[in-house]
Amino acid sequence: MKKLKVLLVDDEIMIREGFKRLFDWKNHGCEVVGEAADGMEALGKIDTLCPDIVIMDINIPIMSGLKVIQLSRMKHPQIAYVIVSGYDDFSYCQQALRLQITDYILKPVNYEEFGICIDNLKISLYEQRAASQEKPKEQEERVIEGITRYLHDHLAEEVSLSILAEEFHLNPQYISQLFKNEIGVGFLSYLTNIRMEKAKKLLISSPLSVTEIAQQAGYGDYRVFTKVFKKTEGITPSQYRREFLEGMEGA
Amino acid sequence: MMRMEIALFLILVFVALIYFSAGRKNTMLHKTFSVLLIAMLVHLCFDAATIYTVNHLDTVPRLLNDILHRFFIGTMVLVVYLFYQYIAILTEEETGKPRHLDFGARIYLAVAELGVMILPVHYAVTERGNYSDGPHASICYVSMAFYLFFCVWLLLKNWTQIDRKKKFAIGAALAIEVCVSLLQAVNPTWLISGMGLTLMTMSFYLTLENPDILRAELTEQKMSMLYLKSQVNPHFLYNTLDTIRIQAQLNDDKPVADLLMRLVDFFRLSVKVDRQMVALDDELEMIEAYMDLMCYRYPELVCRYDIDPDLGGVLVPNFILQPIVENSLLHGLKNKGYRGEVRIVAQKSEQQKSCMEIQVIDTGSGFEGEKKTKVDQMLLHCDKQAPKLEGNSIGILNVQKRIKLLCGRECGLWYTENEAGGVTAHLLLKIEAVNTGLEGKRER
Repeated sequence: MKKLKVLLVDDEIMIREGFKRLFDWKNHGCEVVGEAADGMEALGKIDTLCPDIVIMDINIPIMSGLKVIQLSRMKHPQIAYVIVSGYDDFSYCQQALRLQITDYILKPVNYEEFGICIDNLKISLYEQRAASQEKPKEQEERVIEGITRYLHDHLAEEVSLSILAEEFHLNPQYISQLFKNEIGVGFLSYLTNIRMEKAKKLLISSPLSVTEIAQQAGYGDYRVFTKVFKKTEGITPSQYRREFLEGMEGA
Repeated sequence: MMRMEIALFLILVFVALIYFSAGRKNTMLHKTFSVLLIAMLVHLCFDAATIYTVNHLDTVPRLLNDILHRFFIGTMVLVVYLFYQYIAILTEEETGKPRHLDFGARIYLAVAELGVMILPVHYAVTERGNYSDGPHASICYVSMAFYLFFCVWLLLKNWTQIDRKKKFAIGAALAIEVCVSLLQAVNPTWLISGMGLTLMTMSFYLTLENPDILRAELTEQKMSMLYLKSQVNPHFLYNTLDTIRIQAQLNDDKPVADLLMRLVDFFRLSVKVDRQMVALDDELEMIEAYMDLMCYRYPELVCRYDIDPDLGGVLVPNFILQPIVENSLLHGLKNKGYRGEVRIVAQKSEQQKSCMEIQVIDTGSGFEGEKKTKVDQMLLHCDKQAPKLEGNSIGILNVQKRIKLLCGRECGLWYTENEAGGVTAHLLLKIEAVNTGLEGKRER
């Protein structure tokens, strides 16, 4: 799988340095191809470098990050934007959501959480790809799609590499490698991601209790579920539900 | 007529007592009013004395009568000058413009006082009573007109810039004084000048200088100081701390980076003061950040949590745990050199179904002597306590008040002593169902 190109946009050199040197881009299949310190520069770099991911601060000189996204969206609809901001105002988040950004991360950035965000991004890129190309071209592509479909269908059950291996008559190591190559993330990251997506969907659309949702998302012990949820989403499941409801009220 | 003067004098003594016993800001305006009150009292004494002597011209020696009249008129001019000063200072406070008329007013004061002391005193004797007249007495009419004109001028000139309530208070006082002065000029035997001045003083006292307003001003001043202290732009704080954190991590100093991260977490969570209620999870997250930092600073300090996971989403009044935990540290564990443990327990209340109890248990030094009874009394009578801005009891008193306000009277904060030493703070709070909020919303 080819490396994803990343553009860093922040007016503070230290923040860019931190991103560049403290996050293990290589391990996440990415490479930083450029940096920009203001809105104008960011627009230019987006045009010349054609990055796959733009890490964007909102409060930057000359032109705000949100404006940059809005302008470059039209020319480059495929770019994934991750907003990194010190502002957690509802209005900012709302504007950002309207621009269909991939993720909104609060400063100070925890690089571990940032890794999860990058993984999620890759998974959604993979799912977009899978959805767009109806006709499978290669044998390998079909296998990974089969596996991911199987995972989506059997979320509530216990799944592991060895169970998958049995189901698909493949070597567990091979399946693990397949995930790395095709999606760019490990099997476990992928599984956690789709479980969390399912849980989030249930949290905001069903009246089920957190314990029941944990079960449906494949977590027998809801304490484990809460812990994992907190780690990936930054907040607890009940907070997530509440904030969604508050957002609805505010809107 | 003397009876009225005595009554006015007593009323003003009473007002002065209240006024001087009340705490107030140390400003020119309030100082002027204090001087005015005293001058007014002295003036009323001479007023009462002259009313007697002027009507007993044959029994009272002429010299004594003259002296009393000179002081009567002299203090009256001074009082009217102070009225002018008061209004001028108030106008200056409101508009920020300097007092241009002060020089003229003072020169006139000196001239008038000189005139009062040397011009000859003459008494008019009529059937309805006696009064002083002639050039000496005319000084008081002229100065009254002179200063009242200044006051009215000031008021009208700055009419739009003065606070509504204040300008109407001044306007009413001036109108009363003008009416009384005119009546006095037309009927010199009425001798009501003292009444006019007292009414004017009283109207200032009631509208601009009463103890409630003074206290409110004082509190406002202190609050604004506190507010200013917290006015550092939080984003400046986070961003700077974040930059330092990244630098630390780039220097391979992970512990420092982690500490800074916790500090930023704490600030970010604690500035969300605009919300009255927050989830227990949020409140605990802030406490965790706070305790992580404290435990790092004092390595022999331990913090344990024992939280019923079902209570995570319960809404609690914002910022109620931090003051309690801080109290445990500063008044309990500090005395033991920060060696010990703080345990935070949250569970459903056994006695009251719809409530939960949070306990903050420390292994500190416990209460000293009378301290426990004092704290108990303070928490029991929390609504009778004047809002104190000093001292460290403000924190827990504030917590108690907010719990009572937001959760109901049956909830609250109290302290018990542990058998093994140390203190337990109990917070009884209402459980507001939040986890099931979705069903509730749908029904609506």
